[in-house]
Amino acid sequence: MVRLTRLSYNFGSVWALKDVTFNLGKGEFLFLTGPSGAGKTTLLKLLYAALPMSRGAAEVCGFDLARLHGRHVSLLRRQIGVVFQDFKILPKKTAFDNVALALEVRGMAKSLIERRVRAVLRVLKIEDKSYVPCERLSGGEQQRVAIARSVVVNPSLILADEPTGNLDPGLSRRLMDVFKQFHAYGTTIVMATHNMDMLAMVPSARIIHLEGGRITLDSSEQQPPEGVHR
Amino acid sequence: MIGIALRLALRGVRDLAEHPWPHTFACIAVTLAAFLAGLFLLFLTNLDRELHARHGQVQFQVYWQPAAELAGVQNAWQELRSWPGVESVRTYTPDEALHELTASLDPEAELGWLKGKSPLPATALVSLAVPDNDPDRPKIVYERLKALPDVAEVHYNPAQMDMARSWLAASQRFLWPLIGLLGLVAGLIVGNTIKLSQVSRLDEVDILRLVGARQWYIELPMLAGGAAQGLAGSILGLGLLKLFQLGVANLLNVPPLFLSIEFLPWIYALGLAASLTLVGLLSSWVAVR
Repeated sequence: MVRLTRLSYNFGSVWALKDVTFNLGKGEFLFLTGPSGAGKTTLLKLLYAALPMSRGAAEVCGFDLARLHGRHVSLLRRQIGVVFQDFKILPKKTAFDNVALALEVRGMAKSLIERRVRAVLRVLKIEDKSYVPCERLSGGEQQRVAIARSVVVNPSLILADEPTGNLDPGLSRRLMDVFKQFHAYGTTIVMATHNMDMLAMVPSARIIHLEGGRITLDSSEQQPPEGVHR
Repeated sequence: MIGIALRLALRGVRDLAEHPWPHTFACIAVTLAAFLAGLFLLFLTNLDRELHARHGQVQFQVYWQPAAELAGVQNAWQELRSWPGVESVRTYTPDEALHELTASLDPEAELGWLKGKSPLPATALVSLAVPDNDPDRPKIVYERLKALPDVAEVHYNPAQMDMARSWLAASQRFLWPLIGLLGLVAGLIVGNTIKLSQVSRLDEVDILRLVGARQWYIELPMLAGGAAQGLAGSILGLGLLKLFQLGVANLLNVPPLFLSIEFLPWIYALGLAASLTLVGLLSSWVAVR
């Protein structure tokens, strides 16, 4: 699903990510951990081609990121669902419209869009808020709309950047359950977090710890050190 | 495909309502720019029209003595029309002159009691075409007019022809560069305003990119929105200009000027609206890139 070899990215003379190498198989759940500025968000942005890689090799969902351009970027992104800490939803549009957007850009038929969006909103328990403008929803509801938008397209890979960062612990746990549910259906998930409590909620997940743009721990190769525990 | 494109374009226009304030202010700015550009064009085109109309022409105002017999005066008017070079003769009997004067001063004024006792003289406005190879003809005609029976006064401006020629030369040299400069200034103002208003929609662009929308899918609604702003602003601006023109159309249409201010030729108005629409489209394209 993801194959990275010495992937690097620099802002001028600063290396935000250096020689990152790992493979991620289909259906894996990966936590990217590390302090702020460790390179977690940069890595996620590289994975969905929001940033161009500076060096190395990367393959995501069968797309070679080094050769990715033009319409192939949109084709890659159709395979990926992305969830952000700040939701990135359109506040004036309703929950339904926000989720439907991901299907509309694929040119899907209206009746099919209606059916799929309703189903996802039901799973995420916000069906009753379908026609409420998102600016009137709570933070947790807005985040569920963002998750609904990312999963409605049945993605191969979900990238989540601190998805529970703005939510209280109770709501965070409920949203983690949603991610676990989609993971159970076989979706590959990469979640960046610096909230260590999240890790304990998915005991089977792999952990990659970043510091200063480098991998300092990969739980598939070694045991997590103290401080990085489940 | 055409259906999707139309739907996206309509959505782009409809979505302007989601950020009403930036787009309203942008529309006001475009309206004002269109109005000012149109006003300048109105001035230039009217000036150009007048200069062309008067090019090679001299107008004489001929006043008969108040006591002159109207039948004799009307015979003179008939004769005038057959003079070589005379292009038009506008005539006013004393009553007609009074009516004209009343209408220009106070249309409500009731001066019916003066009918047949008008204190104004019979008047003729004679337009003479002056051929380039006969520059002295105005003087000869002037002398002939003065020599007509019962003529009290003949007015004409000897500098009129020279001035017309100089204005024509100047307008040909400066008119198009001025219009070009005006277009550039209006384009910059409108372009930047629409570009700034479209920035409020960039979050939408980010999200569309994120969910895998193709570039044309993202751009089309934005371009339609920008073009709609340009078009709406220019139509409103031209509407304001029409109201202004109606208000001042006959302000200078009084003796001795007889200048009526006309609206822009339709091709200019269309050109102005099309240019501002195009500027709106291009600036949206720059904003979304």
